[in-house]
Amino acid sequence: MRFTVFTCALLFAGSVFAAQVLSPVGQQVMAPDFELPDTEGRMHRLSDYRGKTVIINFWTTWCPPCREEIPSMNRAWNTLQQEDVVILAINMGEDEDTIFIFTADYPADFPLLLDREGEVIASWPVKGLPTTYVVAPDGRIAYRAIGGREWDDPEFIRKIRDLRAQ
Amino acid sequence: MPITARLAVLLSSYLLAPVLPAAVTHSVNEDNGLRGWRLLEGDIEIELIQRLPDQTRALFMNHGFSREVIEQLALSCMFQTIIRNTGVSGTEQIVAIDLTSWRMRHDGRAQGILLKEPLLESWSDADADKAAKLVVQWGMFPTRQEYLPSDYNWGLTAYGIPPGAIFDLDVTWQEGGRQRTGRIPGIVCAPDVDKLK
Repeated sequence: MRFTVFTCALLFAGSVFAAQVLSPVGQQVMAPDFELPDTEGRMHRLSDYRGKTVIINFWTTWCPPCREEIPSMNRAWNTLQQEDVVILAINMGEDEDTIFIFTADYPADFPLLLDREGEVIASWPVKGLPTTYVVAPDGRIAYRAIGGREWDDPEFIRKIRDLRAQ
Repeated sequence: MPITARLAVLLSSYLLAPVLPAAVTHSVNEDNGLRGWRLLEGDIEIELIQRLPDQTRALFMNHGFSREVIEQLALSCMFQTIIRNTGVSGTEQIVAIDLTSWRMRHDGRAQGILLKEPLLESWSDADADKAAKLVVQWGMFPTRQEYLPSDYNWGLTAYGIPPGAIFDLDVTWQEGGRQRTGRIPGIVCAPDVDKLK
């Protein structure tokens, strides 16, 4: 019985991971540059991270799948932050207080940037939230994900690590 | 019958054919009583989950909307909507939606659903400030979007009929460049607070 339950759990877990894809962006699209403050007041300019892989996540606190993917994104950050990988999560339209309260329930160790007027998100090809792009060290958009993902999926981690070698 | 007439009959029967029932399931959330409808067909999954008008009021409150606009939105029969490219065909097909082609059937009439662009254009600065419009811009479902396998989006769709009203929804989408259709019958707008007692 225990074996059957364990087997079913494994099969189910396998199907969840099999179902999610990090889609390669075929064309040579360069990531639009931006400069935004984080919740600590530090400025971040995307082009300053050239030479590193940058994961750009667009989100809000009131978007359920945005909330759901934050824990796995934080685990991915803890795995990758020593490997020249940066995560910048750009909040659309909310203030520091709202995000501060939110992070009590959804801790995030990576920088949370504030796009209060929605100007940066408008310069990216985003249609819905969450949308995430993986920017290669040379500044081109390598992958995109529309909707939430489990970011600590080993296959995702491998793809992100492989960008440094290209 | 001449071949051209046969072709005309074939074409007209194709164009006038009723939307065939797709694989639709209905559910009730045991915790909150909210009802949901899910269409699963080809590589697409479309799910609509009732939103109480009070849930919509709570979302839009404190975001710079006038009281009138909050009520307009709350009473517009909103559904939490999830559209997903399930990718079950394994062909890496792009699924594309265009909400302007969706039709709802209510009270014997077919009409389009509410889209965010005309809503945003209809509001003055007094109705909704810039921050408020951003919430609608990003909270309501995009009118057009493409999904690669395992992509999905979450957002609000609105139908502009009163709480408790019932409608059928004819949905269309492109799958690998081919037009697909489906119908979700008997969708019920969530009741307002006074009907819950």
